[in-house]
Amino acid sequence: MKFGLFYEHQLPKPYDSDQWDPDAEHKLLKNALDQVELADQLGFDYIFEVEHHFLEEYAHSSAPEIFLAAASQRTKNIRLGHGIALMPPRYNHPARVAERISTLDLLSDGRVEFGTGESASEMELGGFGVPREEKKLQWEEATRQCIRMMTETPYPGYEGAYFGMPERNVIPKPLQKPHPPLWVASSRRETTMVAARLGMGSLGFAFEKPEEAAERVKQYFEIVREECTPIGVAINPALAVLSSLMCCDSDEEAMAKGVEGTQFFSYSLAYYYNPFTGAKHQPGKGHIYRKFKDTPEEERMGMFGGRGRGFGGGDDNKEPEDEVQRALWRAAQRGGCIGTPDFIRETLLKYEAAHLDTMIFVSQSGNRKHEDVMESLEMFGKQVLPEFKERHKEHQKWRDGQLAGVDFEINSSI
Amino acid sequence: MATTNVEKIQDEKLRETMATAHKALKEGDFLGVVQRAGDVYLELLKRKPELLAEGGIPARMRIMMFPRLGAHLEREEDKPPTVVWDRETFGFSEAVTYFEFAVDQLVAEGL
Repeated sequence: MKFGLFYEHQLPKPYDSDQWDPDAEHKLLKNALDQVELADQLGFDYIFEVEHHFLEEYAHSSAPEIFLAAASQRTKNIRLGHGIALMPPRYNHPARVAERISTLDLLSDGRVEFGTGESASEMELGGFGVPREEKKLQWEEATRQCIRMMTETPYPGYEGAYFGMPERNVIPKPLQKPHPPLWVASSRRETTMVAARLGMGSLGFAFEKPEEAAERVKQYFEIVREECTPIGVAINPALAVLSSLMCCDSDEEAMAKGVEGTQFFSYSLAYYYNPFTGAKHQPGKGHIYRKFKDTPEEERMGMFGGRGRGFGGGDDNKEPEDEVQRALWRAAQRGGCIGTPDFIRETLLKYEAAHLDTMIFVSQSGNRKHEDVMESLEMFGKQVLPEFKERHKEHQKWRDGQLAGVDFEINSSI
Repeated sequence: MATTNVEKIQDEKLRETMATAHKALKEGDFLGVVQRAGDVYLELLKRKPELLAEGGIPARMRIMMFPRLGAHLEREEDKPPTVVWDRETFGFSEAVTYFEFAVDQLVAEGL
């Protein structure tokens, strides 16, 4: 199994102030670069950086290509993933995405992972004028054309439902041929199956349990073998899932340092994706962290389908039925990767047994301290990661077996 | 080999409908896929009235769960829900989304 870090660049406002400190965003990004540099030295395989717009406190990561470019110059081996680039053309013209992906691939000596997606929050869709009911179709059209721009000389031009352009040679071309590995954000099982059918890696944001991952892995590879019609020139058969990481000497210490950040991650995500709260957010004036702190723990899940539902135990602690709600719920739990190295190892062994390709950790979240994140990365990187890295060859053999008979060209970093 | 969970659908008629939808998906009839997904989801809600009986957020969630990608569900008070069509052309990824959603719901509800 491989390991990555997931960056939203979360920045809760100080509880007792309506605005951030003037230097807060500067410090946040510089700290994140330090974390990425350390992760590279420790042998982490990936960072995946989101693209979100206007989601104050939840994600100050609106220009991932800039952050990844900076990271490319401070790291040697870690792969640089868009997790994801927003593809509907009103967010990013497909030619501009192709140019940026290729430039980053050249600057990083071929370390780019091209994650794609469409976003779901009203703040973003409404902000850029993307109709919700068209976003997936826009994603599909733009992604197909963007890949053609990276691989065809010249790009012959296109007139589609959502964008068009005349014949042009879109340059530069990426270093990785025919193009960097392709991924799509999958917060629902349905999208994982879309990924398999289009030959894309599935960046699973559903906080899946190992037994669910096992079921998805099996079906994903069956579809790749039997029903795949690649969206690109090369396929990237790969499955990644998300979990929250805080690795410490004791479970108590890990929970003290890690759980509030995890809960804020989930709370703020739910806030923006819930049409009853996210659509009514007052730009520049809201204070999600204060709301979060002022809401009793047992009521923090109320906004997404569980009135009176808390993050902790209790009789009403049933998982929500809807998959996205469930993902948010799980994201708020302690999860299997907040604890001691032994505790985390036990969890990861179950995912390894399920043949999961990649585990991506939310490490920076909420008010977690930079120093705590660094120590946690170091402890995990030295005490847990190496044995999984060593066994990865066995997983690759298993994977080769799964892909036996697949005739498509493959470009995958798994 | 199972590339779908259609075989896990217990009800013969619903299973057949979704098997036909799978065939339509492979043949590029994306509208046909979405129509069948809508039909079986409405049938599920009809056969399991308790899913909407509670009212409030759980019932609203049941309606909102149906993907909103060119066709969505609406429900007037005390009437059964209906599929509302925003358009009649669908892309591959949209069709897969509706298809997988419908199959998952049927399997999860034991139909």
